[in-house]
Amino acid sequence: MSTAVETPEVPEQVIEAPSTVATKKNRRNQIIALGALAALGAVPIPFGDYGFFIGQYAAVYAMLGLSVTIVTGYAGLISLMPYTFAGLGAVMTGLIMTGWGWPFWLAAPMAALATLPVSLVVGMASVRLKTLYLAIATLTFSTALGETFFRWDLVTGGRIGWTVASPQLGPIDFGTDLNFYLLCLLVVLGLVWMTEGLRTSRLGRAMLAVRDNELEAQALGINVYKTKLAAFVLSGMMAGFGGAFLAVLLGNVSPGGYQSPVAEVTSILLVSLVVIGGIDRAWGAFFGAISLVVQSQVFQGARFFFPFFGMYSAFFLILFLLFRPGGLVQVSKITTELVKRRPVFGLAVVLVTVALNLGIAYIFIRAS
Amino acid sequence: MSILETKDLSITFGGISALDEVSINVEPGEIVGILGPNGAGKTTLFNVISGFLKSDQGKVILDGEEIQNLFPYERVAAGLARTFQHVKLFRNLTVYENLLVAQHRHLSSGSFAAMLRLPSWRKDEKLAKDLVEKMLDTINLRPWKDARPSELSYGTTRFLELASVLSLKPKILLLDEPASGIQQREVEALGPMLKGIRDETGCAIVLIEHDMGLLFSVSERVYALDFGRLIAEGTPDEVANDDRVLESYLGRTRRDSVA
Ligand SMILES: Nc1ncnc2c1ncn2[C@@H]1O[C@H](COP(=O)(O)OP(=O)(O)OP(=O)(O)O)[C@@H](O)[C@H]1O
Ligand SMILES: [Mg+2]
Repeated sequence: MSTAVETPEVPEQVIEAPSTVATKKNRRNQIIALGALAALGAVPIPFGDYGFFIGQYAAVYAMLGLSVTIVTGYAGLISLMPYTFAGLGAVMTGLIMTGWGWPFWLAAPMAALATLPVSLVVGMASVRLKTLYLAIATLTFSTALGETFFRWDLVTGGRIGWTVASPQLGPIDFGTDLNFYLLCLLVVLGLVWMTEGLRTSRLGRAMLAVRDNELEAQALGINVYKTKLAAFVLSGMMAGFGGAFLAVLLGNVSPGGYQSPVAEVTSILLVSLVVIGGIDRAWGAFFGAISLVVQSQVFQGARFFFPFFGMYSAFFLILFLLFRPGGLVQVSKITTELVKRRPVFGLAVVLVTVALNLGIAYIFIRAS
Repeated sequence: MSILETKDLSITFGGISALDEVSINVEPGEIVGILGPNGAGKTTLFNVISGFLKSDQGKVILDGEEIQNLFPYERVAAGLARTFQHVKLFRNLTVYENLLVAQHRHLSSGSFAAMLRLPSWRKDEKLAKDLVEKMLDTINLRPWKDARPSELSYGTTRFLELASVLSLKPKILLLDEPASGIQQREVEALGPMLKGIRDETGCAIVLIEHDMGLLFSVSERVYALDFGRLIAEGTPDEVANDDRVLESYLGRTRRDSVA
């Protein structure tokens, strides 16, 4: 640490940059990761239509999870509104497709845009609050929307709601489980890519900075309020967009599904999904959604154990918070390191873990 | 014209006056020292100038513009930068990432440009990385660029903080006890470094420092504060020999009862 001020010359050298920087090596890693995720997407194939349906579920929940990644993972705001925004998007999709007869391809972006005025108003009123206070404020707004917007019969289609048809694109019918699954997979990978891109940008880094230390962020010229508001709004749009796919997945939108307490409970579920996956990386929402959907399927298969699913999830969540705060993303990184360092041992560990899990799931289902 | 001027800044905390009609001025490119015993109001003065505290009365004038009603981030945009007495960094980010965050005000691309990797985002990222690369060499932080603040010595975190605020390209830099808690070797390097920064960037520096050796060697002018009031101003020699300054350091009892 000497007086380096006198050496202003910048040596041209190749440097290795960390994760909030997009470099060639980073881009290569991203492509590898995308490939691995796509391979993961092939898993439902042997299970046929049932597998595709579960895959659609996971993909849609990953989309909704990404909204938590942005608001909570990046900006550190605890919001209980993601599922309410998803509901808003779903209802708008119903209105636009069934009420107005417009195609899904217009409805989905419009559903995302429709969240904007709401998230802007709610955000302006609440993002200055911290931690628990913010959580309570968003809870209040979510409940209030449930009693107002979701009771607005003209928009929500009344108590019955809207039936939502599957999207069509020329000769392609996304009504088949396989086609809609592929669409969802493609879209969620695109959204993961976009959310990851946000992280390596002016605004994304400002969000990480604000989450980390607000005073320092201010001292470095960051408008903390605007940054939080942007996170809140982007998160709302992400949820609204996912809501459009949720509407198609469910086949109908009934407003009751987005009122208190279902909306808030599902938002909490989304938060825990993202924590398990890895809260500050976009891949986390993807992994978390897969893990959640697969586990809930195993529990549904194991009828006797099904009532304990909530308890089990909570236990799982606490384990992650205590030992792997980086979620499954962190686990996969540690595993990759291990495999790189000691390939035989590492792969053995992976195989044993997978076998153990499959075995437990099998015993689970057989026992009930 | 002065780059920074304060006029009659006053602030009280629960009846105790932390700043009492403090007026200082700093010329462009000048290095000004501020000294005073614990609790004299030095940090409070910085907080008011940088907008982290609102004074009860008085004005802060930066480069001819009144800025006392601006938010801290707006004052940064106007050319003012500060460090904190207790190092504040982004603990979850690496040194490199910390410095990237500090390029915020030089960038302009929006969120959708980043999500879709548009050319405006690419340009921004290249600019940010180039600036960080340069700063890594200017402050000699390259060996630690992938480390997180918790892995650094306290002295190195101080230098990282210095690099962060320098990245803002300020017209005036407020440094709150940059030498506290760092090794003697690093303290000795700090003096020439600050002078070098001033010579190269032309930025004025206001320095709060308890290390008198450092303070008197780099400052061209010194203000002395005690109980929130300016008690002396002048060249380092003048202030060092001022009766009231000497007295203020002789362990008088606090004036707490007065309020
Ligand atoms: N936010 C605050 N709320 C209440 N009192 C405060 C606040 N900030 C400072 N004070 C009080 O104002 C006085 C001046 O504090 P300040 O931190 O400015 O002193 P200082 O000169 O920086 O001292 P040191 O050399 O110990 O850093 C002290 O009595 C302090 O307790
Ligand atoms: Mg102080």
